[in-house]
Amino acid sequence: MKASIPTGTSGLLSSVAESAFAAGVGFLASGVLLAVLGKDPIKAFYYLFEGSFGSANNFTITLAYAAPLILTALTFAVGVRAGLFNIGAEGTLYVGATAAVAASLIHLPFGIGLLFVLIVAGAAGAAWSVPAYLLKSYRGVNEVISTIMMNNIALFAMQFVVLNYLLDPARSDKSASIPLDSRFPTLLPPNLTLAIFFSILVCFGVYYYLWQTPGGYELRAVGLNPDAARFSGISPRRPMLYAFLLGGITAGLAGAVEVAGTFTPFAIYTGLSNLVNFGFNGIGVALIGRNHPMAIVLAGIFLGALQAGASSVQIAGISFEIVEVIEGMIVFAIAAPQLYRMFRRRLK
Amino acid sequence: MQSRGEEVLRTAAITKIYPDGTQALRGVDFDLARGEVHGLLGENGAGKTTLSKVLSGILRPTSGEVFVNGKKVEVRHPKEALKLGVGMVHQHFTLVRDFTAFENILLGTDVNPKGSGASKARQEILDLSKDVGLGVELDAKVEDLALGAQQRVELLKMLYRKVQILILDEPTSSLTAPETVELFKAVRRLKEEGKSAIFITHKLNEVLEICDRITVLRHGEVSGKIEAAQADRKTLARMMVGRDVVFDLVKEPSHAGEPILEVSDLVVRGNRGEDAVKGVSFAVRRGEIFGIAGVEGNGQTELEEALSGVRRPSRGNIKLGGLEISSLSNNQIRKHSVGLIPEDRRQMGLILDMSVAENSILGREWERRFRGQGVALAWPKVKEHASRLIKSFEILVKGPESPAKSMSGGNQQKVVVSRELTDDPDFVLAAQPTRGLDVAATDYIRRLLLKTRDTGKGVLVISADLDEVLQLSDIIGVMYEGKLLEVGPPEKMTRHKVGMLMGGVKE
Repeated sequence: MKASIPTGTSGLLSSVAESAFAAGVGFLASGVLLAVLGKDPIKAFYYLFEGSFGSANNFTITLAYAAPLILTALTFAVGVRAGLFNIGAEGTLYVGATAAVAASLIHLPFGIGLLFVLIVAGAAGAAWSVPAYLLKSYRGVNEVISTIMMNNIALFAMQFVVLNYLLDPARSDKSASIPLDSRFPTLLPPNLTLAIFFSILVCFGVYYYLWQTPGGYELRAVGLNPDAARFSGISPRRPMLYAFLLGGITAGLAGAVEVAGTFTPFAIYTGLSNLVNFGFNGIGVALIGRNHPMAIVLAGIFLGALQAGASSVQIAGISFEIVEVIEGMIVFAIAAPQLYRMFRRRLK
Repeated sequence: MQSRGEEVLRTAAITKIYPDGTQALRGVDFDLARGEVHGLLGENGAGKTTLSKVLSGILRPTSGEVFVNGKKVEVRHPKEALKLGVGMVHQHFTLVRDFTAFENILLGTDVNPKGSGASKARQEILDLSKDVGLGVELDAKVEDLALGAQQRVELLKMLYRKVQILILDEPTSSLTAPETVELFKAVRRLKEEGKSAIFITHKLNEVLEICDRITVLRHGEVSGKIEAAQADRKTLARMMVGRDVVFDLVKEPSHAGEPILEVSDLVVRGNRGEDAVKGVSFAVRRGEIFGIAGVEGNGQTELEEALSGVRRPSRGNIKLGGLEISSLSNNQIRKHSVGLIPEDRRQMGLILDMSVAENSILGREWERRFRGQGVALAWPKVKEHASRLIKSFEILVKGPESPAKSMSGGNQQKVVVSRELTDDPDFVLAAQPTRGLDVAATDYIRRLLLKTRDTGKGVLVISADLDEVLQLSDIIGVMYEGKLLEVGPPEKMTRHKVGMLMGGVKE
């Protein structure tokens, strides 16, 4: 039987065409910006591509960036599917990463060690997302406000925890490193670990939940039309709670993936500098991926590529800030149609 | 046949294709004479509104020509239409609620309601309203005005702009019987002054009463054009629907059993904290249709929501089969064999972005029959269920996977009704069950409600459609300003009496 309903992929072709067109606009606009600044756009884009897809090694860097981005994108996407604007992935990722490092301090054998780290990180992320749910559900506090505030709390609270409890005895600029047995196994040194495949697996899980289970159905129903859902006997609270929890779990896992699965020092820098922005960039990934778990995989790799390519663009003599602006323009161009649709629906 | 004035408006082969490919109009020829009221009749989706939007400059036709006073024109914007003397009174009024009637009438003109030209404008408007018999409190805020009065403001707004051709889109849909009478009087007076009107409706009685000529649209085409004097309901309905429509439902006498729903002294607050339902008591018995008539906005919505468990009453009791349910939530009430058909099907009854199959299990997604071995939903089973509903309720749709938003209003309502009736509930609440539906769908749903009654279920119909209540009910109550004014059997509740009660007039 053709499964076009429960997959949420109807209109796939037109959205791919739309995204491709938008990406073209984004590249064109940033090309114009580069030209105005007196830089060679062709050269810049060449290095962008070279740095992200130019060699097997460069591609593994792309994938390493993509792994946490895919997971934080799920946080936002699940929220949107439930009618929420959950932008708490950033702070939740800090919490997940910190929990992962803490959990790894209990040395466990290979296999179990990683599993334990992931479970603790996911649980910490879920727990961190509960206040926003309670505030929204029982006090009507808008989740945008509460999750932003939770992000700030997480930033400073996790810095505090890292500095006071998790610091590497030998170095004062980072936490203790996760022991080898609790890391994602490396497939292709130095950058490719199982982390990216784990992220993709989580996408499949989230997809399955949303489209193949009654709970996921309720979550989408509440997101699309809370009035009708309520009138048909679906209490909106449970789906909302699950959306927050699921978003917390994926963001917490993103934190674990970042510290236990990528080429960073398998630790947290004291200023959380190797964690910042993975949560917010996940929003961009979700928008590019139209909040669909499967499309998010591709969108995550796309944004990962932009990030991986950024350092080699600097070789072309373009400063890092401009590279960031270009990235922003491209992401914005692709995300704009989806953003527009989401806000139009909210305003209606 | 009286002689017709000269032609003021004509369209030639107007075609409109929407960007999504829907062909709303297919070569429509229409003409309007001076001093004529021309009825534009058709089912929902027949193209009436599209045509009126083309004429009033809101939409541009894909092809075809428009002539005003014999001259070919291109109407690119409502302002240009106004310049040509064409103005539209929308079904859903386009007034600024926080402004006074006076301010609304002047809005968009260059007269400042507090400036120098204001007193002159006020005099002009007062003269106009006297000439036509459209009385309006100019300094009242629009939100404080009744719907009928709001419509008079819309009309005055157009007349003040010296409109010669009025387009009235479903003008009576929110009016009480007395307000409708007033509106018709005003339209006749405008006619005497040489103005013309296009009267858009799907109500047969009204076109026959007020129009000189009638053009019927079906599927975007003109399916008939007839002098009102030579038309009757049967002919018009056939033109509209494309086949004969039986108007009189065959209604067996009812066999009322014990009460299934008992409401006593129910008080429900509205959104603004006011008492919207003010102490209502009634009982619905098995095998009986209890009809509550009333103009919308008199507490019916709040009553419906209280009975459905989505709004908690502030006082009183609701008993369903002897069980007190006034403090239960919707999902608890739904466990007790009820079918709830909400008045707002698009907002409360359906999830438009989901498919028919997905909508067919809304609120029932945990039931075993839709699941596979484990916890997962078995989509093949869901689709099978939806296909069964599509078949047995004659829902017109490509298949269970089509999105609900792609369907016509009548078929959307059938999806809701099929879901609510398929499990044989003991009590059915149907709020505005046929609002905005075409003749065929209306007929179908009314039959279904009667059938439900005949199988010994209790049915409560809440409707603003007087005909519907009279046609279906075994007991009729009229709701006015939150109270049930009078309850009685149809023999006592005549059309005239119910109509007057709906306007709050007790005799």
